[in-house]
Amino acid sequence: MPNTPIMDRLVRKTVERHLPWNVHIDLTYRCNERCVHCYLDHHDYGEMTTREVKNVLDQLAEAGSLFLTFSGGEIFLRPDLFELIAYGRGLNFDVSLKTNALLIDESRARRLRELGIRKIQISIYSADAAIHDAITKVPGSLVRSLRAVQFLLAEGLQVKLACPLMKQNLAGFREVQLLAEELGVPYMLDLTITPMMDGGDGVLALRSSATELLQVLQDQNLNSRACTPPETEPKPAFITGSSTSSGIESSAYDDIPCSAGHNSCYISPYGDVSPCVQMPKPAGNLRKQRFDEIWYGSKEMQRVRAVRESQLPLCSSCSIRGYCERCPGLAQMEGGDLLGAYERACELAEMNARLAGIENPISAMHLESGLKGVQSGITQRKDLVQVSL
Amino acid sequence: MTLFPERNPKLAWREIDSEAVIISPEDSHVHELNETASIIWTNADGKHSVDEIAGVIAARYEVELPEAKADVDELIEVLSAKGLLVASKRAGAPAGA
Repeated sequence: MPNTPIMDRLVRKTVERHLPWNVHIDLTYRCNERCVHCYLDHHDYGEMTTREVKNVLDQLAEAGSLFLTFSGGEIFLRPDLFELIAYGRGLNFDVSLKTNALLIDESRARRLRELGIRKIQISIYSADAAIHDAITKVPGSLVRSLRAVQFLLAEGLQVKLACPLMKQNLAGFREVQLLAEELGVPYMLDLTITPMMDGGDGVLALRSSATELLQVLQDQNLNSRACTPPETEPKPAFITGSSTSSGIESSAYDDIPCSAGHNSCYISPYGDVSPCVQMPKPAGNLRKQRFDEIWYGSKEMQRVRAVRESQLPLCSSCSIRGYCERCPGLAQMEGGDLLGAYERACELAEMNARLAGIENPISAMHLESGLKGVQSGITQRKDLVQVSL
Repeated sequence: MTLFPERNPKLAWREIDSEAVIISPEDSHVHELNETASIIWTNADGKHSVDEIAGVIAARYEVELPEAKADVDELIEVLSAKGLLVASKRAGAPAGA
């Protein structure tokens, strides 16, 4: 979401008032793909029923939530998906979906348009079917997903491609970019490979090293061209207006790590509520408590909400903090401390700082531990704004 | 015939601090209404007539009904032109009917 004055003001309001206006709900962890990097176990331990999810949506609407993202797992494995979308739209939510799109045909694309879905994010790992299908472990999956993209675009729906980058597909990131441009849709390269939700870190071996990522960070095309089509110019709406895509940026987040727990949260298929999907420790469960009790009253939400960037014990003194995209959830999962530094963030911050022309950048964590930052010999600044950590 | 404005059902919206934030799913455009326009918006349920909404505005801001009616007419025209409201003409009916 562009950092327009209107959005900045709205975000600030929601942060100041702790309004949960952006909620991510995983409807299932079941999936029809078996992506090599996935952090889920794909089982069903008792997903919320249709009635339970509707009840949750009622509570969220009452609490002031506006942006609703249905994700998974693969959401189209829920036979009640359209019923839940319709229910959410009836409550005036802005609904977006994250899906692999394998189960989207023409009639389902039409139904999504009729229901007023705003955006569908689809995982595309490579423009090369052999690579994409090897990651998803489903032969023919790239062809099917791209066919679905065409169905959705034919209905006039907004589609975004998401491409998590790992060792298997790193070399093909430019082709994904070209594919998105050919389709006329925005895309996102994502360097985040997260530990399993049960804490297992085996998938982290799939991460590209910071050195390997240099080819992405230095890419002239990414640096010189916008990765997304130009946003609509602010229109002279009745009072004022702006355009929104995905992600929310605002100066309201200047001294807080991110939106998690401030104006956004995550709900699992089992009703667990946490500040973010990257913070799997539940703050409460909707089968036992009301949403507002958890959102406003739980110790976990309050703990996360209390964090200020300027008070982080180590990172607040880091000389290259401005080049770091530290995620508090990953700090918890990988470094064991919500307030702490973690290797991946420091490594990439050093890389980004070096690319920006900082000589011999060293993160506070590496400085403290006596390690030297990554050496690359690159001196010119490169701006890469679409790679999220 | 009486005019009954109604919110475009395609739109997503919430009120924050008595001001409506409206999002169009087709183009991701965000509209923010001020308090007066938000009163019209929240009452535009297809059940309240323009005259009734003008009555709400007149009471809220302590202005004469004709003045409120003129403002409401103008705002409804603007909101309708932007596709935020749809208005239907039909025989007058009591609110909530």
